[in-house]
Amino acid sequence: MSIEVSGLTKRFGDFVALDDVNVSLPTGQLTALLGPSGGGKSTLLRIIAGLDTADAGTVTIEGTDATRLPPQKRNVGFVFQHYAVFKHMTVAKNVAFGLEIRKRPKAETARRVEELLELVHLSQFSHRLPAQLSGGQRQRMALARALAVEPTVLLLDEPFGALDAKVRKELRDWLRRLHDEVHVTTVFVTHDQEEALEVADEIVVINEGRVEQVGTPDQLYDEPANDFVMGFLGEVTTLEGQVLRPHDIEVATHPVPGGVQGRVERVLRIGFEVRVVVAVADRPDVTVVLTRTHSRSMHLEAGAAVWLTPAEGAISVASGRQREAASA
Amino acid sequence: MTSALVERGSPPPVDPGADVPTGGGGGRRRPRRSRRSGPRSTLTRGAGLGLGVAVLWFSILVLLPLAAVVAVAAEGGVSGYVSVLQNDQTWAAVTLTVTQAAVVTVVNVLVGTVIAWVLVRDSFWGKRLLDVIIDVPFALPTIVAGLVLLSLYGPNSPLGLQWAFTPSAVTLALAFVTLPFVVRTVQPVLEELETDVEEAAASLGAKRSTIFRRIILPSLVPAIAAGAALSFARAISEYGSLVLLSGNRPFETEVVSVRVLTFIENGNNTSAAAVASVMLFVALVVIVLLDVLQRRVARRG
Amino acid sequence: MASPTATRTTTAVPVPVKWTLRLVAVGYVFFLVAWPLALLVQQTFDGGLTNLLDALGDEQVISALRLTGIVAGLAVVINLVFGVTISLLLVRYEFPGKRVLSALIDLPLSVSPVVVGLALVLAYNGRNGLVGPELEAAGFQVIFNSPGMVMATCFVALPLVIREVVPVLVEVGDDQEQAARSLGASGPQTFWRITLPSIKWGVVYGVVLSLARSVGEFGAVKIVSGNYTGRTQTATLVVEQKYQNFQQGEAYATSFLLILVSIACLVVVALVRPQSHS
Repeated sequence: MSIEVSGLTKRFGDFVALDDVNVSLPTGQLTALLGPSGGGKSTLLRIIAGLDTADAGTVTIEGTDATRLPPQKRNVGFVFQHYAVFKHMTVAKNVAFGLEIRKRPKAETARRVEELLELVHLSQFSHRLPAQLSGGQRQRMALARALAVEPTVLLLDEPFGALDAKVRKELRDWLRRLHDEVHVTTVFVTHDQEEALEVADEIVVINEGRVEQVGTPDQLYDEPANDFVMGFLGEVTTLEGQVLRPHDIEVATHPVPGGVQGRVERVLRIGFEVRVVVAVADRPDVTVVLTRTHSRSMHLEAGAAVWLTPAEGAISVASGRQREAASA
Repeated sequence: MTSALVERGSPPPVDPGADVPTGGGGGRRRPRRSRRSGPRSTLTRGAGLGLGVAVLWFSILVLLPLAAVVAVAAEGGVSGYVSVLQNDQTWAAVTLTVTQAAVVTVVNVLVGTVIAWVLVRDSFWGKRLLDVIIDVPFALPTIVAGLVLLSLYGPNSPLGLQWAFTPSAVTLALAFVTLPFVVRTVQPVLEELETDVEEAAASLGAKRSTIFRRIILPSLVPAIAAGAALSFARAISEYGSLVLLSGNRPFETEVVSVRVLTFIENGNNTSAAAVASVMLFVALVVIVLLDVLQRRVARRG
Repeated sequence: MASPTATRTTTAVPVPVKWTLRLVAVGYVFFLVAWPLALLVQQTFDGGLTNLLDALGDEQVISALRLTGIVAGLAVVINLVFGVTISLLLVRYEFPGKRVLSALIDLPLSVSPVVVGLALVLAYNGRNGLVGPELEAAGFQVIFNSPGMVMATCFVALPLVIREVVPVLVEVGDDQEQAARSLGASGPQTFWRITLPSIKWGVVYGVVLSLARSVGEFGAVKIVSGNYTGRTQTATLVVEQKYQNFQQGEAYATSFLLILVSIACLVVVALVRPQSHS
């Protein structure tokens, strides 16, 4: 195991950011810490890097107890959401910084910087100042800077959070490919479930300072541990106390065995999908997603009586812990 | 150049690392520590040493000497204070200083706001020069300031004015040294005031006078007040520019600082300390007032 | 109500009001600052270069100028080191008493120079000061000597560096410093390579302001120095003495030199300001 975190607790005043967190992150993998904002995932990452200190618990990096080590002794690479570029240094100087601190020979440093700029496709910008780069380029430079010192682990705090949607998507694919080339143990924080599902080998879902579930993207999607995980990874609706995906509900226009009776409130057409909101007795409205063809064939309109049943093989969890984040 | 003197709000607390809405990417990343958590030391060993040395120097330079003033003033007891302040000449100096400082502050509030407005909203040939000249009184040695004013308002005035050694000379000197304060506090606030708010008010049917009274003025008031406080504090403590200009005539042009100096020169340190401690108290009040005002300015900004 | 030709937007001020305000602003500054300043410069050169040459040939003036340079230079260096340290502590660290310290730092701005001088005399004079006799017994004379003059100058200019550096430190944030630490830089390495370069314009600005204030200090230095000709007399004290001794030419000339320093400071500030905002 590359990173072992056990019993980690952190408070800011009355606010509990991390509550007895235990996680093991395997060597060489790309792991995402996923969760809503304010859930504690950035705090966890910063404690692993040594930028914050925990109130209790230990952090072990590659077998070394790092709990009390200052950040400069941990040999981690850290990439910040807002890049944290050294504004007064050129791109090449930024990347060379960690190597110069380590007093590597000049020639070696120059060669390594060249290699890394090649890797992040910034070779032609090496003499520019960061202010002359776009956001995406700055973040690639920050990544090269972090990789230059050959860190044991690479930590990225919402690395694409400040970029616009298109660049974010490009960089996401690029990070995946880069990781396949470089193979350094990588942990990144994100609140975007799509980003985590697409890029990560493994996902740690964190909410309110606790780990909700750890697993591969498939595991999380197919076997959610609870309604929070299910809700955070995609849209959900509640039918008869069961949380399930809106497209996993079957609609009938006549009574069916076990069907829940309701009345169509609204029909919204969004592209090729149709979203039907159904009012049922004594419970919150249920949302159902159908294909356009299916909906048309049933002549669904506001006011129509319908009967709802979970589709065969639908994944569902009991709605025990209702949380506002689930509807996000 | 005094703008920065008054712009500074209190530094925000160092952010702890909890995460926060990352929506557009422009917002702050981490929440501020809750106020209830109270002061908690985050000093490293090196920083602690630095703080120790800095506080020691600050104590030697500022706190110990000011404590000495209070201690010497207290030697005379309450009766000492009363007798010093009851002295006709001292009382005249206090009255003159406070009156003149108040007059000059009012002038600064009015003219300073106008100058700030002209610098921000108007444009004409030479405006940049005007902007630089505003800072001259701040950069100029005070004794030179007195000499400078003498050249136009003294015995050889090309305008035939003979204001030297009259109470007008005190007004003049105080107005000169306090010129930048209101201008430089109001200017940045006016710069940040969006014209679209005024346009919105206009589109809602507000007259120009109404817009000024109900939209512009309320946003400027904290800045004007902060500038006025600085200007008043500077005026009551002024000394250098008055030396050559006012003649230091008892009961006529002698201000509090000069009175203190006279006590010192006569070896009457107790009386000097008594008057000085009253001035110190006023300075403290102004500091507290400024702190409150700056917080308010910062909150609006 | 305003005619369409007179106003370009709904909120523009009518022309007469605009001209009145412009006239008030320019007129006030002209009569209060610009004209008197120009007259002084003109008086300096009334007899050609005579006044200036007289002053520069006067040993009293020269030694005073030299002393001002030394005292102001020392005070600026001390305030620079102290100011940057305090700024870093106030912005980057939490500790008990921080708010009190932050407020007290501003105190010298509103204390009269005369009170500053008196305070230093009462604390450090060798006869009956609070700790002065002890220091004097140890062979260390503060009052009527250069240490006291440096202290008085430090006192009056104390908050200037801090007031410039603190907002810059807040604005640049600590991201770059954290990045440097995560890349292996030690505390001092982070300060010299990352923090200092990113706040350098704020520091320059603060230093220039302190320099202008230090060179121009009069009241506090007058009390603390004892004003001994040739030994503890600074340039501003010479201006006073020369003027009162009816050597007005030399007073003007020395003032002119001091004005040059002030103007130079203003020019530097005008050049630095756009940089610190970018």
